[in-house]
Amino acid sequence: MTVANMEAAISLRGMKLQHERFALGPIDCDIPKGMVTAIVGPNGSGKSTLFRALLGLEPILSGEAEVLGTPLNGNQEDQYKSRIGFLAENPHAHENHLAADEKAKFASRWYPGWDWEKYRKLLRHFDVDGGVRLSKMSKGMRRKAELSIAMAHDPELLMLDEPSSGLDPFAWKTMLQELGRYMEPGDRTLVLATHILEEIKRLADYILFIYRGKVLGLYEKDRLLDDWRTIVVQIEYARKDGSEMLQRTPGFQGLTEAGPGLYRLEVDEPERGEAYCRDNGFQVLAVQRMDLEDILSCLIRKEEARR
Amino acid sequence: MWLPIRIDEQRPEPLYHQIEVQLRGLILGGQLKEGTLLPSIRELAVSLKCSAITVRRVYQDLENEGLIRTRQGTGTFVAGVGAVQRDEHRLERVTEEMEKAIELGLQLQCAPEEIETAFRQALHRKSKERGGDVT
Repeated sequence: MTVANMEAAISLRGMKLQHERFALGPIDCDIPKGMVTAIVGPNGSGKSTLFRALLGLEPILSGEAEVLGTPLNGNQEDQYKSRIGFLAENPHAHENHLAADEKAKFASRWYPGWDWEKYRKLLRHFDVDGGVRLSKMSKGMRRKAELSIAMAHDPELLMLDEPSSGLDPFAWKTMLQELGRYMEPGDRTLVLATHILEEIKRLADYILFIYRGKVLGLYEKDRLLDDWRTIVVQIEYARKDGSEMLQRTPGFQGLTEAGPGLYRLEVDEPERGEAYCRDNGFQVLAVQRMDLEDILSCLIRKEEARR
Repeated sequence: MWLPIRIDEQRPEPLYHQIEVQLRGLILGGQLKEGTLLPSIRELAVSLKCSAITVRRVYQDLENEGLIRTRQGTGTFVAGVGAVQRDEHRLERVTEEMEKAIELGLQLQCAPEEIETAFRQALHRKSKERGGDVT
């Protein structure tokens, strides 16, 4: 899956990983540079494993993976990672005894681009006291501290695994502002795994749907929301071939029978789909945009049917 | 800067189209004066909850129309709009809205004469309300 005319920050070609209980891939996709890509999928789809693989923490079984131009072949230098900022889904227990400032001090030695000024600004904006031990902080407070550390070297690629978990609505807003500011120069890339639809709506340019370790698709968000529609149609009850006819609708994605002669049709070519319904004697009762959740469940249903 | 642009998710028009029409209207209607600095692509995207790709497309279209100008490193500005262009836009907008009303009239099986009468009466009434003397 590729995005036209776009330089890729992350490029995966048939990448496969194998755990004891979990297989990821083969994954083919290009995550575009300068853009925000949200990774969306049910729990256990492989989002966190994918992040770990991109950080070189999971051996790649087959296929190719390239991050910021560095091929991950098992022999890659660790240097590319200094251009990445990463926030893991869960805090590391071995850092519990550190104060935020102490963790930042470690980070400052490892990242050439480290900027104390930026770190302090982020802490101030998030209203975090850097002198407090990470284990003494509330979940949300620690999240804000760790996010500040992940961003303080102004990385080329920022990867956030469920960044907003534990944040109150005010901190969440601050985070959106900071991430917007981070993207401002136009050459930064943000990849985030999240379940929060509002976050995806506000931040994402692209959405990567994954499910059971497989990519269901990489979509431009606004196109997705523009194109996918539910069409509610009705036909005389006596006609038995209604559902068969509807399955041939242009852009057909899904169909449920809502009552006698009443159907909910899901399409990704709304105009042609609607015209088809009218031309075939259906009465169009309503046309509505679909939510991301509904689109995702539709894609999952299709994938399940294929398995 | 904040722009009074509203996206209506119930409308069938694609997002980029909704944004483009409104921003063009703000420029041609004179609410945004020549030289005004527009928000950056990312800023506008975040505030409208749409993607940067969509905003970039809008900016590109309006730049091609000569309504805005991008200066490398400094940002995107409103360009000078000629009086002719502004007048054309005014008439276009009015025509568009009238077409919608006429369409509704025809849908309701009104005869052209009835629509014409209704138009004259509405114009007369509205002008009176505003204290004008159009007959």
